[in-house]
Amino acid sequence: MNRRGFIGGALALLAGATAGLKAKLAKAASRIRPPGAKLGDFERRCIRCFRCAEVCPPKAIRFHSGLDFFSADLPFLELDARGCILCMKCTEVCPTSALEPTPGDPAAVQAKVKMGKPVLDRKKCIPWAGQGVCRICFYACPYAGSAVVLVGPQQAPLFEPEKCVGCGLCEEACPKLAHAIRIVPPEVKG
Amino acid sequence: MASARRPERAGRQSALSRIGPADLFLKRARRYQRTRRLFLSLSVALVFLAPLWHLSRNELDSAGLTGGGRWVGLAARVPHLELPPLVGAPWTVELLGLEMLDPLAAAALLAARSFDWEVAIGVLPTLLLVVLLGRFFCGWLCPYLPLLAASNAARALLRRVGVRLPEVRLPRRAPLFLLAALLLATALGGTQLIGLVYPPSLIGREVFRAVFYGGLGGGALVLLAAFLFDTFVSRAGFCRSLCPGGALFSLLGALSPIRVRRAKQACTDCTLCDVVCNLGQQPMSDRLDSGCERCGRCIAVCPTGALKFEVGRAALSAGAPARPVPSRPERGRGAPLPRGEGGA
Repeated sequence: MNRRGFIGGALALLAGATAGLKAKLAKAASRIRPPGAKLGDFERRCIRCFRCAEVCPPKAIRFHSGLDFFSADLPFLELDARGCILCMKCTEVCPTSALEPTPGDPAAVQAKVKMGKPVLDRKKCIPWAGQGVCRICFYACPYAGSAVVLVGPQQAPLFEPEKCVGCGLCEEACPKLAHAIRIVPPEVKG
Repeated sequence: MASARRPERAGRQSALSRIGPADLFLKRARRYQRTRRLFLSLSVALVFLAPLWHLSRNELDSAGLTGGGRWVGLAARVPHLELPPLVGAPWTVELLGLEMLDPLAAAALLAARSFDWEVAIGVLPTLLLVVLLGRFFCGWLCPYLPLLAASNAARALLRRVGVRLPEVRLPRRAPLFLLAALLLATALGGTQLIGLVYPPSLIGREVFRAVFYGGLGGGALVLLAAFLFDTFVSRAGFCRSLCPGGALFSLLGALSPIRVRRAKQACTDCTLCDVVCNLGQQPMSDRLDSGCERCGRCIAVCPTGALKFEVGRAALSAGAPARPVPSRPERGRGAPLPRGEGGA
């Protein structure tokens, strides 16, 4: 193989890889990222150092494993297993500002953090389905009263997606039999 | 291996004692090796201690929830002290309040146009060290070195039982091209890819994963591939011609004033230094380039103390022509050795 062929092949390979990566970017957006992450900017900045997970007190941060080169070792949250307690320690230790530094007080967090938004399945939700009073999500929510309010005689939860930061404490708390609440990434429609 | 070689070296010393006080050099070289191994042990220890320490600091019950509780018992024994902040592994570490970032990470961030002041401050100390000391990280701190040592031992063992191992030499510029390709892919693809093929970063992550979550990820396969490449294809081939970090450090440290120099009068052309070098440097024929990792093993192994580190401008100017000499009559193994001025 001559030099021109080699360089041409290498460039073609690179172009293919780049196109593949762009496609993966869209797919990766379907995961909940730790607080302070901004879509696109986060993927460009995260050097996969794992420091966020190291300091995370509730061990809510997990990592993609496997050989998927785009999202391998990027941090995400599995909120139905464990919600984010909004301590903002991960944004403190992030060396590249992939997670934008945010003070840990509730007002600042609500102003800056948007990990996802809540989607409630009213058919599964105990009070909405008329099966009784539950209120667990209301008690779990750090912004109860603004991000979630209770309505009606069954005291059913009503979410305000604009006020919600997406910490997922309600998703973690929601009875597993019901599993009515899901936090979806802010970009996802639904 | 070292103990097996010692009697041989002692014999050489007595035979060569008329040349000079080699013992003095040997003592210093051994102290250098001890210091280097201490740094290396600390670096490897850090990779394991940082996750264990954080596992002990954070809620143990929730750690047990995610990790299957495998390491929690061990983590519970780590003293629960309010130590200065220790976060991260060699790739990016905050140690005693000092933030340090791998120059390779900074280069990749630069390629992805997300370089900022925080990154600049983090990379400053390490960049300074690399410019001053060249590729020292590879010989002093890289947590892949224990694996490389295992690979070399496996090679020696295989050769002893009669297995023929190839010694593939990739082109000299290959690591630079690979580094450039990776940086280009980072710039175009919009994600930080380099950490996925860079052993110090991979090892930090896989150890963390094992400690925190009780399992290994795809990075372990990359590490295994590097190990197998080093063992069966080319000695230290990954470090020499594939590692993007090594390529970058060679580039940044090209003007480092610290070089291995040979006293021609004392050199007996025994080739021990050329053989001991993992990275293909040839101190015996003064062929050293910026790929030298300053591990000093060639100095420690020299029976006559002909090699030593030199610092300063003299070393710089003398070290400059260390690029491949235009005339190379003695290339390859088995060719007649160069008879230098001190050769005997």
